This record gives sequence, structure tokens and C-alpha cells, in this order.
Amino acid sequence: MATRNRTALFRKYRTALQQVRPASASTSAQGAVVELSNAPLLRGAASGYNRLSTVDVDGSREGVVSVGLPPPWVDVSEEVAIDMQKIRSKMGELAKAHARALMPTFDDIKGKGQEHNIELMSQDITRLLKKCEQKLRQLSQDRGHSEDMKLRVNVQRSLATDLQTLSVEFRKHQKGYLQRLQQQQQQELTVLVLSFLALQRASITASYERGKEDEFYDPGFNEQQMSRLKKAEVLSEEREKEVQQIMESVNDLAQIMKDLSTLVIDQGTIVDRIDYNVQQVATSIEQGVRELEQAERTQKKGDMVFCVMVLIALCVFMICVLIFKKLVL
Amino acid sequence: MVLVAAVRDYVSKMLSDIAGMKVFVLDAQTLAIVSVATSQSELLQKEVFLVEKAESTSSEPMTHLKAVCFLRPTAENMQNLKEILGQPRFGEYHLFFSNILKTNFVQNLADFDQHEAVQQVQEFYADFIALDPYHFTLNTPSNHLYMVPLLFDPTKIQPLCERIIEGVSSVFLALKKRPVIRYSRNSEIARRIAQDAARLMYEQEAALFDFRRTEVLPLLLIIDRRDDPVTPLLNQWTYQAMVHELIGIQDNKVDLREYSRVPKDQQVVLSSEQDPFFRSNMFENFGDLGMNVKKMVDTFQSQHKSNQNIQSLEDMARFVENYPEFRKMQGNVSKHVALMTEMSRLVDERKLMSVSQAEQELACHSSQAAALDELNVQWELPGVTDDEKLRLAMLYALRYERENPQQLQELVDRLNAGRSKYNSNLLYSLLKQAGEEKRTGDLFSNRDLFNRARTMARGLKGVENVYTQHQPLVFHLIESIAKGRLKDADYPFVGNHAQQGKPQDVVIFIIGGTTYAESRVVALQNAANPGTRVLLGGTVVHNSKSFLRDLEEVQRVGRASIY
Repeated sequence: MATRNRTALFRKYRTALQQVRPASASTSAQGAVVELSNAPLLRGAASGYNRLSTVDVDGSREGVVSVGLPPPWVDVSEEVAIDMQKIRSKMGELAKAHARALMPTFDDIKGKGQEHNIELMSQDITRLLKKCEQKLRQLSQDRGHSEDMKLRVNVQRSLATDLQTLSVEFRKHQKGYLQRLQQQQQQELTVLVLSFLALQRASITASYERGKEDEFYDPGFNEQQMSRLKKAEVLSEEREKEVQQIMESVNDLAQIMKDLSTLVIDQGTIVDRIDYNVQQVATSIEQGVRELEQAERTQKKGDMVFCVMVLIALCVFMICVLIFKKLVL
Repeated sequence: MVLVAAVRDYVSKMLSDIAGMKVFVLDAQTLAIVSVATSQSELLQKEVFLVEKAESTSSEPMTHLKAVCFLRPTAENMQNLKEILGQPRFGEYHLFFSNILKTNFVQNLADFDQHEAVQQVQEFYADFIALDPYHFTLNTPSNHLYMVPLLFDPTKIQPLCERIIEGVSSVFLALKKRPVIRYSRNSEIARRIAQDAARLMYEQEAALFDFRRTEVLPLLLIIDRRDDPVTPLLNQWTYQAMVHELIGIQDNKVDLREYSRVPKDQQVVLSSEQDPFFRSNMFENFGDLGMNVKKMVDTFQSQHKSNQNIQSLEDMARFVENYPEFRKMQGNVSKHVALMTEMSRLVDERKLMSVSQAEQELACHSSQAAALDELNVQWELPGVTDDEKLRLAMLYALRYERENPQQLQELVDRLNAGRSKYNSNLLYSLLKQAGEEKRTGDLFSNRDLFNRARTMARGLKGVENVYTQHQPLVFHLIESIAKGRLKDADYPFVGNHAQQGKPQDVVIFIIGGTTYAESRVVALQNAANPGTRVLLGGTVVHNSKSFLRDLEEVQRVGRASIY
């Protein structure tokens, strides 16, 4: 992959040429100055660009340099990019939190705090994703000239692709966590049931032994067992709730995914071809011109038809008048 | 992955060094070069949000964008650049040219750049359209001119020659190699191009081509399409070649607008880089291909079914997760199925099965009398088009040029009677252009005794598939190169070079155009012996239609010069 840089040669010629024609250089500087007074009002207003002209302080370039401030949608796109960066860092945190939460703990309060934390974080991420998606939609809303429009659509596509991969990643995380959570829950349940059964058997044998002494003993749950059972119920309810929430967030994401898929280009298809896109613009412009011409023609035709109709109507009216006149006479 | 990867590396190098939002300015040729190697979504990843043609007349200023221009150094682009730089619309200009810049070109550029908008001027040698990893084309306009004698109209032929030299030299610059050059002896234009290319590489730009030497120098072999007129005349039965023969491929795009009854999918992309199914099946023959498409449809169906019964939330989550993959697969399946249906319809309609068998017999063996009988049988079949008849007659004529001129004349008369849309003298102009005397190399393997014996031996062994028994001349050339037995008399060296041993890198350039059948041979050869890497290039990619059209054009030029 050989390359050759010709910039040095080019610069050499350029400076040489600039020294040769001082006259033309001054005119170009003048032109720029004129731009300073005119451009911000005329062009800037027409195209939505905020043009600023500043004098270069370094003096490395002679004359005036005009700096174009980008249109407002660029800020929106940057905001989206920043938000996505945030999502990415939050997802890193969330992954760590998930790992911690899945480790067996003996401290109930701490565990609850963690769960709450995870909940908050995933809600946060979902909210950010939604926000990004809404902002993306905004990008293509207000109209501009055709090229700016195309630019915006492309920016939108690029951001949408990133957002899609991000949301897929997030969903995979969530799903993995969900599955492991459910597994753990099941394990806990079986452990609970087993221990419960063991306890019961113990109590039954105990009561049997005691039964010999006391015939009216109630072989039900003792207090200890009841409290354990209640605790298990509460725990499973909590888990259930958690699972429900995660499910909801997965569904939310699914919606975002579907919305995004209209924006993202399918790779390997004709839409992904560069030349196809360029030609598409050319043909659409041509088509526009053709349609305009046709519209003009039909409009002209419409005028003519209207004229003819009026004339015919007048003719009929005159004939009527004539007949009326004859009849009266 | 050689050629495509080279172009892709060039493009990404161009774009990744420049931060911020960019607009990519291309001309018609570089648009094709970039399009086959990379994709819109890849450009988007590199923050290229607008692609524009160099001749675009739009005047909306967008100073927050940086322009990356990738252009060929031509006179038209010079003019375009003058306008672009006269009123710069974008914040910065980074100019990349696809070939060697002449000093006065740089000087002119410097003259245009009065606003000092240009940041850099570089040469990035991606001046070829890399269709496949081992196959490139130049898409030269008025390709037929290679058949016109060089002194006939130098103003028209000169640009063609220059384009070829630029294309070939850029391939070697991209590979960082300087080759020894050989050409086919009987072709005037091949000799001219070989000599000019050698002058460029060893004299004019010797410093640029001074790369690290390998033990055996790489080889550039320049041959002429007229050395092998048979391959573009044959019907093809492997996927890529067949699509090009029956429907037509342009820069890896297939236009189905006049064929497909499905309103969607009017144009499809057939790229060995992006489509894994196509990559593994592009060289398969029609029968195996049918089986593979069936398999693909079956797996798709089973997936589709599992997607349909969504009952639980988990099912739904799974569906959404696989959704992009699913959609991609759906698009791919419908594309290949559409192509298959269209091709098998055409095969049935034109009786290509039987015609092709006759063609292969004509190209490979059978005696003259048997060939003539076969030809007559095919001509009588209903549904065989005039194209097919003409091609059969041409194959017959190329093979038995000397043996019975009267019979040839009869054939021509009968073609005339059939009111063919082609001028029947085309057959004679083919013989004039690519007759036995004009050809270099042993096309039908019947010139010396050894080759004849080999053909006989092959005939005894029997063939696996009657439709793909013909091997193009390129196959035999690669074989002899690999064995170091390419004859110096037929393919002389330029200058006082000589080559001992087997070269590791070979570029075979066919003036007048390649075919996908040849590109298949090259790809298979590369897969079979990893020791040598063969690249194939041509001015265009031919199917039989475009080959005949070129012949017609040349006939017209010849006739115009007489009157």
C-alpha cells in the first residue's frame, strides 16, 4: 500500500504563486471583507447558518477568514453522542453491580440496597436510551435544503446504528441477569422446600415420640417454621416483582429496537451501496425537475381550459339572449 | 482478500486521519472504486455524512464539514477542482489522487487554491475496481478500440492505453512490487502497453517503484482478449459467471428491473465480501447451487416458524434479539431465490442445456463432421435464439477455420437467411480479429504433438461435468507459469529481463476484458496452490453480449474508415 505525499511540493508552488501575484491576493482579501458585511445577513438568514467572520490574529494568513458555525442540529447530534457515552459508562457500572448482586450474601439489608440500586440504574439507562431515540427523531424533523437534509439523515443513521448496538448489548445484559436470577430463585426455593420438609419430618418424629406421652398434640407448624415460611414468601414475592420489572424494561427496549430498525441501514443490501445512494439523489432531483415541468404544463393547460370554458359559456349565453330577443320580437 | 483489502485500507487511511464531520467528493470512476470495496454504513462509521460527485453544481456553503476528495488525475477533474477551489464551500480540503501526479498538475492545483483551503495533496494508488479479492477491472469506456490498429486513430487509442497503464501500475504500487513484464507476441497493443509500463516503472518513476526486492521478481503478463475469443462466447454454468451471462453484473450490482416480477428488490448486490452465501457458492455449478439455495430456504423456514409462535415474553425477547439477523437473512434468501428463478426460466426458454453441451463439444473435442451435425441439430431446435446460433457458428468457425471454407460460407448464408439482428459478417470480422494467425498461445491445444496427446489423454479419462469441461486459456497460462514453462517465443520479456524459477506474485492483465469464468479459474488456482498468488485484471468484464457488441463496434469503425 504505497502512498506519496505531495503536500510539500504543492505548498511550495502555492507560496511561490502567491508571491507572484500580490494584486490578486489583495482583491481576494477585499472580497472576504465584503463577505464580512454582507454574508451574515443574507446568506446566514437564508440557510440557517450563523456565519461569523473574524480577523485571524496570528497573521499567518492574510485578510479575513470566515468561520461557519454549524447549524443547530449538530448540537443535537452531539448531545446524543454524549448521552450514549453516558449509557456506556453506566452499563459498565451495572454489569459490576449485577455481578455483586448474584454473589450469595448473608446480609439482608445490604442485599436490598443493592437490588434497589440495580433497579435505579437500569431504569436510568432505559430512560437515557429513550431520550436518545427521541432526540434522534428530532434530527430529521425541521426541513432544510436538500443537501443539509441528506446530511442529517446520514448522521441520524449513523447514530441510530450505534444506538441499536448499544441497546442490544444492554438487553443481552439484562436477559443474562434475569436468567441467572431465576435460576438462583429456583435453587433457593428447592433449598427452602427441602429444609422445610426436613424440619417437618423432624417435628413429626418428635411429636410421635411425644405423642406417646400426650395424645392431643397438634402436629402443625411450630412458630419457627411459620416465620421461615413467611420470610420465604416475602422473598419470592420480591423476586417476582424484580423479574417483572426487568421484563418490562426488556419490552421497552424491544419497542425502541423496532423504532430504530426503520432508521438503520441493512448491511450488504443495495441501500448500503455508496454509488446507489449517489445515483438515487441524482434521479430524485431529475424526477423533481420533471414533475415541476409537468406541473407547469398542467397549470398552463388548466388556464387554457378555463378560458375555453368561459368562452363557450359566453357563447351559449349569447345564443340564449339572441333566441330570447327573437322570441320577444 | 488482496485487492479489495488494499482499496479498503486506502479509503480508511484517507478518512480516519481527519477528525470531524466529512464529505466525500468522488468522480464517476472513483465512485465505482470505493463502492465495490466499502459500504455506506462503513463510511458513516468514519463520520462521512455526505457523498458528493466532483461535478456537482450545488452551491450551499457548509463550512462545518471537511471535504475529502478522492479523484483520478484527469483533465475533467482539473476543471472541476478549479471550480470547487474557486469558491470553497467546505471548511477544509484534503485532496487524494488515485495515481501519479505530473508536476504541472500540482502546479495548476496550487494556482487554483487562492483561498488556501487545501490542507494536503496525496497520491493513494487505488486506481482499479476490485470486484473480488483476485479480480479487478478498469471499466474503460469505448473498450472496442483495442482491436483497432494503433496508428489508425491515435487520439482515441491513446487515452485507452494510458488508462490501462495507470490501472496496472497502481495495482503494483498498492502491492508494493515492481514486476518484470511479459506480453503476448502477436498483439500490437499488448506490446505497446508492456513497453510503456516498463518505461514508467524502470525509468520515469524508478524511485517510486523501488521497493524491497524479492528473490524471484513478480510477473506482469499482458495478453490480448483475442488470444482467447472462445471463453466469452460460451454459456456459463457457475453462479457468478452465469448471472453475468444471463442477466448482467455491473460493479457487483445486478439490475433485475426488467426481469423480476417482484416489485421489491429491483437491484441487488452480489459481493463476495459482504454476502457469505454468495462467497461460498459463487463458483458452484448450477445444480449444486440449486441444492444449496434449497438448504438455505429450509433453514430460513424453520427459523421463520420458530419466530411465528411467540407466546411468552421470553419468546418475544428472543425474537427481537434475532430480529436484525432475521431480516438480513430474509433479504439474502429472497435475493438468491429471485436470481435462481430468473436464471432457470431463461435456461428453459432458450434451451441452454442442449445448446451449451454443443458449445462445449465444439470448444473441447469432436471431429469436424460431428461438430457440423451437432450444430445443425441445435439450429433446428425451437426456442434457440439468433444469438445462440451465431455463437455456435463462431465457435465452429474459430475451430475449423482452415478446414472447409465453403462450409463456412454456407453457414454464413444460412445465418443471413434467418434475419439475424446481428450482421452476419461479424463472423468473418471475428476471424479477421482473432483468427488462428492472430492468436498467441495454443488455444485449442492442437498445435504441437505433446498438447494433442494431453488432450487425448484427458478425453479418455472422461469428464465430470459436460457443461464445464472447457478451460480458458488463462488456466493453461497459469499452469505453465507455475511450472516455469511459459514460452519465451510466445510471451517475450520487455527489456533484458529474464525469469528463473516460479514467481510468487503474478498479475495477468487481459486487454479487451476478462470473464467471470477466468476469474473463477484464478480463484480456484489460488486456493489450490498457496505458493503463487495470481491476480486477474482486464479493461472490462465481458459476457457474450458485450463481446459481440465490441466486435460490431470495431466493424463499424472499420467500415467508416473505408468510405
